[in-house]
Amino acid sequence: MKLLISCLLLAFFTFASYAQSKLTIRGVVKDTTNMPLDYTSVLLLSPKDSALVEYTLTNKDGEYQFKNVDRQPLLIKATYTGYLPKQKELVLPETGDLEVDEIQLMPILQELYEVVVKAAKAPLMMRGDTLEYDASKFKVPPGATLEELLRKLPGIQIDKDGNIVAQGEQVQKVTVDGRRFFGGNTKMATQNLNAESVSKLQLFDDKSEQSKLTGVEDGVKEKTLNVELKEEARKGGFGKLSAALGTDGRWSANASFNKFDKVNQFSVIGYGNNVNQSGLSWDDLQEFKGSSAFQFGDTGDFGFNGSGGNYISFSGGDNEESFEIPFNNLNSGFSNNQAIGVNYNYLKDKKDFNSNYFYSRSDQALESFNSRTNFLQDNTSFTSTDQSSQNNMAGHHRVNLRFQNELDSANTITINAKGRLSSLTTYLASHQELIRSSTEQSQMDRNNQSDKWSGAFQGTAIYRHKFKKNGRNFAASISDTYSKADQNGIQKSVVDLMNSTDPNTYFRNLDQLNQALNGSNLIKSSLLFVEPIKKIFFWETFYNFSQSQSETDRQVYDVESSDTRELNPDLSRFFDNTITYNRFGSSIRYANKGSNLSVGLAASNYRLNGQFSVVKDSEVLGRVNKSYLNFTPNVIYSKTMKGNKRINAGYTMGVNPPNITDLQPFKDISNPLYIREGNPDLEPEVSHSFNTGYSMYDPATFINLRFSFNSTFYQNQVVQNQTIDPETFVTTYKAGNVSGGQRYNPYLGFGFPIVKTKATAYLSANPSYSKSLSLINSVETETNTFSHNFGVNLNLTPLEWLSIYTGSSYRLSKTKYEQNPSQNQDIINWSAYSNMNITFPKDFYLDVKFNYNRYENESFGFDQEVPILNAFVYKLLGKAKKWEVRLSAYDIFKQNQTISQNAGQNYVSTGRIETLSRYFLLGVTYNLRGVEVKKYR
Amino acid sequence: MKLKYLKILILLLISTGLKAQNMVGEVEYRYRIFYDKIYSSLPHITEQEKDRILLTWSNSDGYSTRMKLQFWPEKSLYTFGEPYQVQSYSWQVEDYFIENNLENQTYLKYMDQMGKTYIVRDSLNAPKWRVMNEIRDILGHMCMKAVYEDSIKGQKITAWFASDIPVPTGPEEQFGLPGLILAYDINDGMLIVEAEKITFGEPEEIITLPKKMKGREVSGAKYQDMVQEFIQSSIESRRAWMWEIRY
Repeated sequence: MKLLISCLLLAFFTFASYAQSKLTIRGVVKDTTNMPLDYTSVLLLSPKDSALVEYTLTNKDGEYQFKNVDRQPLLIKATYTGYLPKQKELVLPETGDLEVDEIQLMPILQELYEVVVKAAKAPLMMRGDTLEYDASKFKVPPGATLEELLRKLPGIQIDKDGNIVAQGEQVQKVTVDGRRFFGGNTKMATQNLNAESVSKLQLFDDKSEQSKLTGVEDGVKEKTLNVELKEEARKGGFGKLSAALGTDGRWSANASFNKFDKVNQFSVIGYGNNVNQSGLSWDDLQEFKGSSAFQFGDTGDFGFNGSGGNYISFSGGDNEESFEIPFNNLNSGFSNNQAIGVNYNYLKDKKDFNSNYFYSRSDQALESFNSRTNFLQDNTSFTSTDQSSQNNMAGHHRVNLRFQNELDSANTITINAKGRLSSLTTYLASHQELIRSSTEQSQMDRNNQSDKWSGAFQGTAIYRHKFKKNGRNFAASISDTYSKADQNGIQKSVVDLMNSTDPNTYFRNLDQLNQALNGSNLIKSSLLFVEPIKKIFFWETFYNFSQSQSETDRQVYDVESSDTRELNPDLSRFFDNTITYNRFGSSIRYANKGSNLSVGLAASNYRLNGQFSVVKDSEVLGRVNKSYLNFTPNVIYSKTMKGNKRINAGYTMGVNPPNITDLQPFKDISNPLYIREGNPDLEPEVSHSFNTGYSMYDPATFINLRFSFNSTFYQNQVVQNQTIDPETFVTTYKAGNVSGGQRYNPYLGFGFPIVKTKATAYLSANPSYSKSLSLINSVETETNTFSHNFGVNLNLTPLEWLSIYTGSSYRLSKTKYEQNPSQNQDIINWSAYSNMNITFPKDFYLDVKFNYNRYENESFGFDQEVPILNAFVYKLLGKAKKWEVRLSAYDIFKQNQTISQNAGQNYVSTGRIETLSRYFLLGVTYNLRGVEVKKYR
Repeated sequence: MKLKYLKILILLLISTGLKAQNMVGEVEYRYRIFYDKIYSSLPHITEQEKDRILLTWSNSDGYSTRMKLQFWPEKSLYTFGEPYQVQSYSWQVEDYFIENNLENQTYLKYMDQMGKTYIVRDSLNAPKWRVMNEIRDILGHMCMKAVYEDSIKGQKITAWFASDIPVPTGPEEQFGLPGLILAYDINDGMLIVEAEKITFGEPEEIITLPKKMKGREVSGAKYQDMVQEFIQSSIESRRAWMWEIRY
């Protein structure tokens, strides 16, 4: 009962106070000349957080009225264009409505409004009596002082003595971030502070120092200018240093340092190790190159390409021919690697300059064993084995420069210059055996050595122009690539032929010296014009030109006796080749609402001119003069649909001219067991590629599906026809054309979460079929390869401190030989991986990586397992976690070797390379990340 | 003295003349998003990665899209504007329409978000705007600053509204101030939306919603829950949610 009464009472009081709490607020807004201001916004705000409670507009008499306002503390604020907004706290009456005193708005000093708010687009801030604005919006020359900035500001003058006069009064003191600057000497401040470091300026009347000290208001105001400094803008720097020592003299060290601000990016990097790492990591490469890490479209090739679409590929090997910095590269065998690089980028306004130099060297020892079984026509076969020991020493200097300038909104130029200088020394000792049966075999021991120097330079310039008509574009490019290589070598081989009776065989003992001087120059140029038609059709016209000239001067000397050497006219050759390429094409593109269809046709012409002789300027032994004209159609369609779904389809025709070396009627016997012979009647290889695909991704469920089907049909495919001498087994390769080769490549991938955010799976199937044809001993031989590929990947992150990434893939490759079914091969490659990452308390971590590979070929009884277990334990030290101590164990089972398996048209091969196995490293890393950004004081 | 009165008279005439006009018009906004800054702010990004992003793909100009708002005293319509650059490849398939009915205080959003098409209808509930003591000029309009915080997306929104255009609407999902919002930014420059052109008077071509709207009908509250859940699970899976939700 009591409860009921108190409830009722409560309800009554609530109602009563509710009824009482509503009030009406009204008033009038005028300007300083007492003119009512109509159309003025009047806002009611909550004084504690300025939250908007209600708002209204004044009528033509400047009157406003708020009805039914909750009785609560309120601020009233009025704002009108050209006037300083004014706010004041309302004193609410106990009961009844509120008649607010007249609000008078002050016009903003016209100069201030025009110069600061309108012209400089600097927000104007009101803090009580203080007006404040963003000084960074005023343009001053670099290095200008605060004084120069102040001269630009409205309402402020600097008199001849350097005193600041603001609104007619002399500024008594200048403070920086609210503090007195050098004892209040205003000139000191204005002449020493850098204008560029100023963010805001505040001008107000401060109390005198005297009254601040005594707390007694003396009525004296000091005109004060406060300068607020910028947080130092986008400046950073980081660096890493790590070193590790291990068992068997293994070591590894890396160092990098970066410093950057808005305009400059500078970095140095270096590494050294004897654990086969011969490139930067992907992250290190990005950090090293900075803003130039992703530069696309710098090739200057325009128009559709034969392979259908423009691909951007990243491959990281330390390839001699490449201008690119190596990354993610793990060598086979045993190697000792070092590198150092410097990068500098300059980015200002519309100018972009990137430069870097990188030197890498590697000393690699390879012990390998290869076995290859060749099938002959008569259902027999022979096997060759090659046990070799190789030592490669390579060093590469690489320089990359890039400059891009957006001259104005319509014109852009890009200039690229790349250079490299490489040296390569190779020693090879190999023992080869050919075995047909226990009684029939031959052997050869080779001993080769070569020294090579090579250099290349590439310069590219691209100009792009946008016309006034939106979508109409023009682009032109020109590039030149020049390369030169000088090689000296020694070739020795001792051959033991058990069955050969032919005295004219090439199979003989060799003791030769060879020299090769190769040079080439490639000029390319492209033009592109795009004309939009009704914003959804685009007519693209392009022209490509390239001419490559190459000269090969190879001289081979037989070493007759210890000191005399004689030119071998059968092996010495001088080639002078020129390939000229012209293509003109056009396509119509439809692009609208995610649908894109492009239909095009191009005419391309290849002209191949070459000649060769024994040495330069000697009698011409053969000439090549070929010209090929082809018309290549191209159709590409894609449609992006709602819900992250996309389909695509396309047809492209590719034309590849034969290699000039394949065209030259010349025998290359540098490897006496495998002789290469040219064919002057070769036609260009034509490929017809069809591709379709579908992909979808649902971001809400994380389900994704990908499907694609690609097929290629070959016409005049250039294949290496083989003739195998039944007596000596010497294989002679001669390039030829054959039609009918095919390739089919479907792919299906499906990813889905098992437990959302905790476990996801990705399944894939990638079967493929290929049919290839070639002549083996003048008989057309068909080889069919079916490959079954299945993969499963699981990502498990069940707990905050545990993550496991695991997966497996299985590939069965069935090769069927139409003419020799008894030699059919089933090759199995099976692999599984598991990476586990555990976070322990106190910044301890454990990473375990297990990789398992199994290689099987039943018909050869080949079955090799390679299980590799790596484990890493590390701990972060220090408050800022700048230190790390790490114990690494690589290949704990000591099983590492590099295995390869291959089945070709008439052969099966397996290879293995002995590779660095079990070792342990103990290392320390220091990461300097977060070098203090100091505030300018 | 006479001159002064004349001046005021002219001023009055201009301002009263503007009045009727100021209630109807079209605004073109530049929607500039800075994916590098947004990506760097994701909780799973390490300090080193932040620097790497800043070094390699920071873009001081951001990524721009032109947007269009048409307003009347009783409603506003908002969608994509003409693209800045006519491109020979078309990616854009998403729809993004917002209709605010200022009379009934309701809204309709037809948009592709989180991989699906949604039709969201609910009543307009203005966020808790705080009006600040700062003014700025945008295209000749004096604008005042107002801020609020969106706890679901973790965003600090700073808007600038023109009190001389007393239509309480704005671009994207911003509304509820005593004037048209001519600019706003999120988290000090992760997203900057700014008016580039204002044309008063009845727009030549009025934005029309597709006749057949296909999509999932949800209420505003339900949609907010879905956004919250999506952001939550994306963060847990270390995915960047801003590719799938309008920032």
